Parts: sequence; C-alpha cells; structure tokens
Amino acid sequence: MRIRLNAVMVDDQQKALDFYTNVLGFKKKQDIPMGEFRWLSVESPEGGDAELSLEPNANPAAKTFQEAMFEQGIPLTAFEVDDMDAEFKKLSEHGVTFTTNPTNAGPVIMAVFADTCGNLIQIYQKTE
Amino acid sequence: MLRHERLIRLCQARDALRDVQRTQATVADIAASVAMSQFHFIRQFRALFGETPQQYRTRARLERAKHLLVNGDATITEVCMAVGFTSLGSFSALFARRFGEAPSAYRRRLAGDRQALTPDCVGLMTAAWRGEAQFSRSRDPDE
Repeated sequence: MRIRLNAVMVDDQQKALDFYTNVLGFKKKQDIPMGEFRWLSVESPEGGDAELSLEPNANPAAKTFQEAMFEQGIPLTAFEVDDMDAEFKKLSEHGVTFTTNPTNAGPVIMAVFADTCGNLIQIYQKTE
Repeated sequence: MLRHERLIRLCQARDALRDVQRTQATVADIAASVAMSQFHFIRQFRALFGETPQQYRTRARLERAKHLLVNGDATITEVCMAVGFTSLGSFSALFARRFGEAPSAYRRRLAGDRQALTPDCVGLMTAAWRGEAQFSRSRDPDE
C-alpha cells in the first residue's frame, strides 16, 4: 500500500489550477473533463510521487466543513519547502495572503497562507 | 499578514454576499457591515478568495440556481428571483455564457440527478478511468 493521492477541495477548479500552477509552481498532472467538473490533479516538479487532486467542493457537506476549518484558521494540508525565505518572498510578490508569517516552531519553520480557493495551507521547512 | 479577527470579518462578508435575504445590499453596504472601507474590503477579499466580492456573489448565485434547477420544480423565473437576480433576461444570458446552455436546457439534461452536482475526488477519478463523459455516482459499474 502506498500513499499517492491527496486532495484539497476547491471552490472553482479553473481558479485552483491557476493558483496551484502559476503561483505555487506545481505542474498539471491530469485534466479530464467530466461534464461540468474535471478530474484535475497537480504534482510537484521537485519530485515525490504524490498527486494532489483539486476537487470541486460542490457538496454542501464538504463546503460546510471547508468553511468552518477556514474560519477557525486551520490549514487543510501542508507542503514541505526547502527555503522558507524564498517561498515566502515569492508568494508575497504574487499577492498571496498569509495568516501566519514564517515562524520558528522547534524543528521546523512554518507559515500559513490562503490558497484563494477556500483553504488555508501550511508550508514548513525542516531545520534539523 | 492577515490577522485572524480580520479573516473572520471577511468570512462574514462572504456569507452576506450570498445571503438570499440581502440581495439588495451593495458591496459598499457589506464592506460597511464588517467595518471596512470599500477599497480595503475589495482588495483583501480578492487576495483571500481569489475573486472580487461581485464576482463571488455572481458565482454563488449561479451555483445556487443550478441546484434549484436540478433538484426543485420552481419555474426558471422563480429560480432567477430566488437567487437574487431581478431580470430573467440577464440571468439566462449570464447562465448560458458561463455554462454553455440556457437554464431550461440545463434542467432538462440533469433533472433529478442530484449527484451530478456533488462530485467527489475518488468518484471523479473512477469515472475518468472508466472514460465516462459525465460524473454520476449512481451509474452501474457493470454497464
């Protein structure tokens, strides 16, 4: 058994694809139209074999969960980075909204930003 | 950095923008209701949610219209009014431009197929593997 697939719920798949590729720098992996939705996923150009699905949050139950987590300031998932300073600078230049600036938290430096699709996302750099 | 208190106010504004009881409120009214200047409200809303308040409101109304069309029996005019549009002509034109077909055609195609509007990650992946053109959780896998 291997972990290959993770998903974030997004309020608009095209908006999400733009953000996750043009701003975060991921690459589109799969994009298969399914009526008005798409089976849509991205992967990191920096390696790893995980695939991140950009899943429509059209289900009211999913939307309620997503909005509650967002309002409580809780990130839905986390991505590892090699250079927090560089990532923070790059994302800030793209106008990304951070809810936690880079913060030393023991063995990691972490920060939290909004993905413009209804989620907070944490990034972390291991320091040990 | 966006403080948590401000994030909550922006979420409250987002809720107000899609509130069918507040369709008469302007973006300026909603900015004022969360104690923000209109300029800062629009700028921070867009940075946080990826679209302007007006774009968000329009998208929320059209999404709600889809659900009412598929799952209810209200007339097109009633759906138009229920989601906050005042002109049937502009509602139908906007709907067609955004989704590629008129509200009536959309309803005919998807009537009663509640699951067509509530896809999930694994369901979409599975449907893609099967080469289906339209997501439907109710489909018989042996078909």
